[in-house]
Amino acid sequence: MAGFNRRQLLQGSAAGLLAASTRKAWSQAKPDKLVLVCENSRAWKRTLLEEVAPAFEKIHGIKIEFTMLPVDAWRARLKAELSAGSTGIDLAMLSVQMSGWMSAHVLDHNEVVRKIMARDPAFAWDDFLNGGKVAGTYDGKLVGIPYRLTAQILHYQKALLQQAGFAQAPRTYAEFEKAALAVNSPPTRYGFGLMGKQGAGTFTNVVPWIFSAGGRLLDFKTGEIFIDDDKAAAGLQFYADLAQKDKVVPPEAMTWEFDEIIAGAQKDKYAMSVTFSSYGTLFNDPKLSTTGGRWAWSTMPGHPSKEQNRSLIDGQFMAISKYSRYPDWAMEFVRMACSKQAMVRSMEGGNAPPRGSSLRDPQMVAKLGWPSAAAEAIETGIPISQDPAWDGLEIALRTGVSETLLGQKTAKQALQGVASEWRRNLRRAGILKS
Amino acid sequence: MKTASLECYFDRYFVHATVLPTFLMMLCVFGLPLLFSFYLSFTGWGLEQPLFAGRFVGLANYDDVLTNAVFTKAIYITLGYTAATVAAQMLLGLGIALLLNIDLPGMRVFRTALIVPMMMTPIVGALCWKLLLDPSHGVLNQWIGEKIVWLGRPDTAIYAIWVVGVWQNTAYVTLILLAGLRSLPSEPLEAAAIDGANRLQAFLFVTLPMLRPYLLVALLLRTIFEFRAFDNIYAMTGGGPANSTMMLSMYTYLVTFVQFDFSIGAAAAWLMLLMSMILCVLFILVIRRREAL
Amino acid sequence: MAAVVGSPRVRRMESALIYAALTVLVLAFLFPVIWVLGLSLKTRAQVFASPPLYLWWPTFQNYADVLTRSDFVRAFINTLIVSTSAVALSLGVGAPAAYAFARFPFKGRSILFFALLVMRMLPPIAVLVPMYLLFNKVGLATTRLSVVLAYTTFSLPLVVWIMRGYFEGLPVELEESAWIDGASRFGAFLYAILPLARPGLVAASILCLQLAWNDFLFSAVLTNNATQTLPVMMAAFNAGDSGMDWGGLTASGMLVTLPVILFSFAAQRHLVAGLSSGAVKG
Repeated sequence: MAGFNRRQLLQGSAAGLLAASTRKAWSQAKPDKLVLVCENSRAWKRTLLEEVAPAFEKIHGIKIEFTMLPVDAWRARLKAELSAGSTGIDLAMLSVQMSGWMSAHVLDHNEVVRKIMARDPAFAWDDFLNGGKVAGTYDGKLVGIPYRLTAQILHYQKALLQQAGFAQAPRTYAEFEKAALAVNSPPTRYGFGLMGKQGAGTFTNVVPWIFSAGGRLLDFKTGEIFIDDDKAAAGLQFYADLAQKDKVVPPEAMTWEFDEIIAGAQKDKYAMSVTFSSYGTLFNDPKLSTTGGRWAWSTMPGHPSKEQNRSLIDGQFMAISKYSRYPDWAMEFVRMACSKQAMVRSMEGGNAPPRGSSLRDPQMVAKLGWPSAAAEAIETGIPISQDPAWDGLEIALRTGVSETLLGQKTAKQALQGVASEWRRNLRRAGILKS
Repeated sequence: MKTASLECYFDRYFVHATVLPTFLMMLCVFGLPLLFSFYLSFTGWGLEQPLFAGRFVGLANYDDVLTNAVFTKAIYITLGYTAATVAAQMLLGLGIALLLNIDLPGMRVFRTALIVPMMMTPIVGALCWKLLLDPSHGVLNQWIGEKIVWLGRPDTAIYAIWVVGVWQNTAYVTLILLAGLRSLPSEPLEAAAIDGANRLQAFLFVTLPMLRPYLLVALLLRTIFEFRAFDNIYAMTGGGPANSTMMLSMYTYLVTFVQFDFSIGAAAAWLMLLMSMILCVLFILVIRRREAL
Repeated sequence: MAAVVGSPRVRRMESALIYAALTVLVLAFLFPVIWVLGLSLKTRAQVFASPPLYLWWPTFQNYADVLTRSDFVRAFINTLIVSTSAVALSLGVGAPAAYAFARFPFKGRSILFFALLVMRMLPPIAVLVPMYLLFNKVGLATTRLSVVLAYTTFSLPLVVWIMRGYFEGLPVELEESAWIDGASRFGAFLYAILPLARPGLVAASILCLQLAWNDFLFSAVLTNNATQTLPVMMAAFNAGDSGMDWGGLTASGMLVTLPVILFSFAAQRHLVAGLSSGAVKG
């Protein structure tokens, strides 16, 4: 366990707060609660729910009311309620993909950061990774304080690869294919695990392979589409061939999404995967996983050489609603929740914080293992698109990927279908004129 | 002799008094959103805009929807699924209702037991089936002996959804028909028995015709609901693999809540309504005509 | 009402066959439910055991965890309030209307009736956001009343449709004899017709209850933490990107289903009440 416990966290925050409050009195009335709307996965929010919020309540007497909803309901609620200008939401967690349409409803967080830093320099805004700041900026406006930043990295069972003659993680696609074939031992354990279900996980799982082959998606400013060019097709084809041609993927992976890919690793169903950095904690925990302790991490391979590798950056931000009646108190909570201590603690709870100090914390690195690979991947990674039109395009991409994975079409054919669907959508959104 | 004048008043306007609340409620709570959704289907509108600020685009949304290959494929899948599921539910439901109609000791337990699948929260039931169908941890594959990835193959996924749909909602039909059977007068059956009809003849020529209105209600309700089936697909396959289970409601959901394009979503929803209406009118015409003969 | 007729030997054989058929059906239909029950008594490791476990030492930890969650108890109470209100409202408003449709040929009857059905055909997804906006405008946005009203509008066409069928099936003599005895139309409806329509009422109420009890989408958008119903609360177990809490999900699933099963069991008596209560004989 890291050396921080709740008492120390309380003491730390209380000390910080006392120091700051001598300088300025609150001009706002105190509410009895602040409403925070977020997505309902408890695991990586454990620190927020069980430590930070109770501590905040103890110090200030303000309860944090978490409204936790499944993904679609969370987005719908935020969109509906904030578009109506409701004062019922004070804080919201939003994902990179949402930053486009959320930006009109939240405060300018560059301002918020300035205020926080004035109160509490130990907040250390410079400590936050640049990748997170960029991912959270839409049209020049910072839409929230980064709370979670995940990159897709390579998780692999070190001993299995070593036995097969691979001292290091594979660096290129060709090497990766060889490694996967070498460690492939069906039907108990396969070489590679992926999220094959046509759904929310499809995109995050396949796009790193497209990026690392040199492919790109599109340019929202010009409407130029790159998804159907040869590089992107090569990346997708490689991904699909692992399942279709090399057969190193468990057949049931076609039904896998987030929960199943974790369970698959924990049950030793596969030896390698490219997925969320924070999953490393769950894969490697001996209490949860039969493969606990056997995993190692690295940035993913590139094609044709390692330098091409690009990860996908996704994340969640904590934002203060423009319509909240208590923005200063909300800001205080954000300050506490995103402080250095709280973020290091949250790693224990399964989070992937966007702070350099957390990801390079020697205790954490020694304990968890994946943070250094994640930090490296975030340096060069490409964030998920923030444009509001992306949501519709992603749905079309899911279909194309699914068709290729099942061998119904080649990657090139499928992506051409996706591109034409994208052109329809972009025309409708007014981005493409003809 | 009528006494209180209030009673007179109430009787005369009985129809108004009973029917008005229903329509008032429907119009205010459901009708207004319904009309707004209809209006939306002819405009281009985003949630950020004020309510009536959408650009009028005529039939462009409908055109967009109907020329979308995913939507047209979804129409076929939905029609096929609806036909297969409703047929199975009606047949099974009728059979079970007939069995449950018999007065034997312990029937109460059976009646409750067979309604349970319908009572279970659909998401929980669907997720449980997902686990049952799992190639590694699921019992179904263990019994069959083969490792079939039911929900991962385009040719088997829709059958899995069908099984779950029949499992969940046959009880709906059973309930309606059982209550119907219980409401039938016993005289016609007694008369038939006196006339020397055997049980099968009595069933076919006496019970079944009397049951017709209930059968029609069950048929229409199930058709409407299965046409709109959503929970199972959402929980089990999300429309995949490769759109093989992409039913109309899943498509509408994705467009409305993931893409946040309310105008296209409204157009798709109203097309669905149109199709349901045509189906139901067909059923009513066919069954009513047979009744008149 | 059907009884098994024939000689004692034929009767016994037939009864045996019927019991056998019913048992097979019950096993087939209840197997998944029993499996869910089993899952709720397993630990996560046991859930994912491969091959699946049939015999194990049950653990009640999942139930303990779920029941001690304050949001579960609150959601349970909310669901109870919302569902019973919706059912009561639907039956109270819909049954008299159904009676009017069944018995009195008033102008525009067919059109109105068909309109009710057509309204039901629209996928709820289409009206969800407009309904939210409407409730927001009148200040009902996160209250229980909003969901009650929403569920009632879903159930009303159902109730009217089903009850009209049952009312039509009742012989007119019943009301006529009541009228002769001096009852008003409403009185006849209340005291003569309604008791005999019990099977229909129970069937309709079970269907309305099931709809209100299990709805997720509308409750998710129209309620907040304080007023949320069970399905929304249970969605918290589907933990997104960190592993589903099967124990919690199935335990709460069983706890959620239990009340409606008990209700159905208790309502059996009225469901199977027939016409032979001697209202009109001779």
